[in-house]
Amino acid sequence: MNLSYRIYYVFLRNLVSYKRFVIPTFLVSLIEPLFYLITFGIGMGAYIGYFGGKPYLYFLVPGVLVSSVMLSSTFECLYGTFVKIVHEKLYDSLIATPISAEDAVAGDIAWGTFRGMVSGILMMTVAIIMGVIPGSILSVLLLILLMVFIGILFASLAMIVTSFSPNFDFFNYYTELVIMPMLFFSGVFFPLDRFPAWMKTLSIFMPLTHAVNISRAIFSGEYKPGLILNFSVIFVLEAVAFYIGIKSMKKRLIK
Amino acid sequence: MNIIVSAKDLTKKFGSLTAVDGISFEIQEGECFGFLGPNGAGKTSTIKMIHCVSPVTSGTLIVNGMPAHIGNRALKMMAGVIPQEIALDPDLTVHENLIIFAKFFDIPKREAKKRIAELLEFIELEQKRNSKIDSLSTGMKRRLLIARALLNHPKLIVADEPTTGLDPQARHLIWQRLRQLKSQGVTLILTTQYMEEAQQLCDRIVIMHKAKILKEGVPSKLVEEEIGREVVEIRIPKEEDDKVIGQLSSFSCGHERVGDTLYFYCQDEQHLMRKLIELNLHNYLTRPATLEDVFLKLTGRSLIE
Repeated sequence: MNLSYRIYYVFLRNLVSYKRFVIPTFLVSLIEPLFYLITFGIGMGAYIGYFGGKPYLYFLVPGVLVSSVMLSSTFECLYGTFVKIVHEKLYDSLIATPISAEDAVAGDIAWGTFRGMVSGILMMTVAIIMGVIPGSILSVLLLILLMVFIGILFASLAMIVTSFSPNFDFFNYYTELVIMPMLFFSGVFFPLDRFPAWMKTLSIFMPLTHAVNISRAIFSGEYKPGLILNFSVIFVLEAVAFYIGIKSMKKRLIK
Repeated sequence: MNIIVSAKDLTKKFGSLTAVDGISFEIQEGECFGFLGPNGAGKTSTIKMIHCVSPVTSGTLIVNGMPAHIGNRALKMMAGVIPQEIALDPDLTVHENLIIFAKFFDIPKREAKKRIAELLEFIELEQKRNSKIDSLSTGMKRRLLIARALLNHPKLIVADEPTTGLDPQARHLIWQRLRQLKSQGVTLILTTQYMEEAQQLCDRIVIMHKAKILKEGVPSKLVEEEIGREVVEIRIPKEEDDKVIGQLSSFSCGHERVGDTLYFYCQDEQHLMRKLIELNLHNYLTRPATLEDVFLKLTGRSLIE
């Protein structure tokens, strides 16, 4: 792993180019999770009413927060990175400078993570405006840290997919067969307790399930010992995905 | 003269395909060294190994006293690369492109700004400082690629077909700038398919074909040694070849039939011309021999696909 401080330069390049797209991307990052909050939260919430002593939105928001991080980080490192490699040939220019292939990929993972974090923060702001407020200021800070933590995971996973993707269409397999099921089977919208056993087992293997558990605990400020397991699962998966993501992208970039 | 690049039995394989097959060459500091060859000859693969973006499969490659390999940041720091494809950052303006690139080389901001102002003047693009890349012509984009390659005051410039797709004006401007850099003592490594470009810029060239070096030398000498001074092209039906060759071969140093044309190579066309007039042949053309003749003679005049 030939990593250096130049990761920051790659991140910086993305930040400079981003200023042209800030408004459209902010809107997109907001709209999708906002739909979930409005349709599920307010629409369905009206029928569900209270959930463990609190309005349904309090159950929903922590899950939607991490989902929006997942979606943003994933899409940035699928489509965003692919365009930079194949269409703009940006990576070729980067690696001809003292930036190594590993720096370039890690810089893009950092960027995907940042995009995820921004989406998450926007979502949290909307939730707060809607009156769904985290337990304390500490919860807010911890939630932002969590966004970074799971942003790295999903950005790295997406990087692995991008490393062997021949074209844009290929990404559909990943988004439709992995990301979407994850969104619906990770207990974002309803508790997993009443799911059949096989579905519960399945959900254990979905990293988002663990992220949702942590998010919900931080949001309410009610921590349980099981969180250590949730945290460990994400941490291990993230370290592996980061490593494989960089290695496999390097294979694509350096021939 | 110091040797800045030295390759011995340099080989590059992509799976079962051998792109560069055990070539050896030396490039001296301060010269312009050209790699000529048809598409797929191995030129780009060779220079990618020199500027450390492609690993060497086998053989040795020493650049500026260090072995070239993809992790060698020190070598990348002293080299400037003008890529074949227009790989500018389309999301940024001309100035932002350069500012960001200067950052990649750890150039402090103040120094970078000064350097960029100089370079924009050098490539005559001051007016386009704040333009988006999309609004530039191909010639402007290629010039900007040159400016970008010069940000770090490179000791070695690697240019991969730097004038592809340009009109004559833009091409001549780029040639002038590259010669100007050479006069400042920069070593220039060039790949090209344009013979004129090689003749205009290169002190020495190698002609590559099918992953190997066929010939190495000074362009003008190569032409003289391989072809002669003059070329006479005669467009006659193939059936008449034997007769015409019989009549003319004593005046030339070689002949070749390609398609509808019979080529004669000679040191002094005067006698040959006189004979041609005597024979009352009409469809002929006489011209000075060029590097293109050498190139075509060595790599074959038929299409390479």
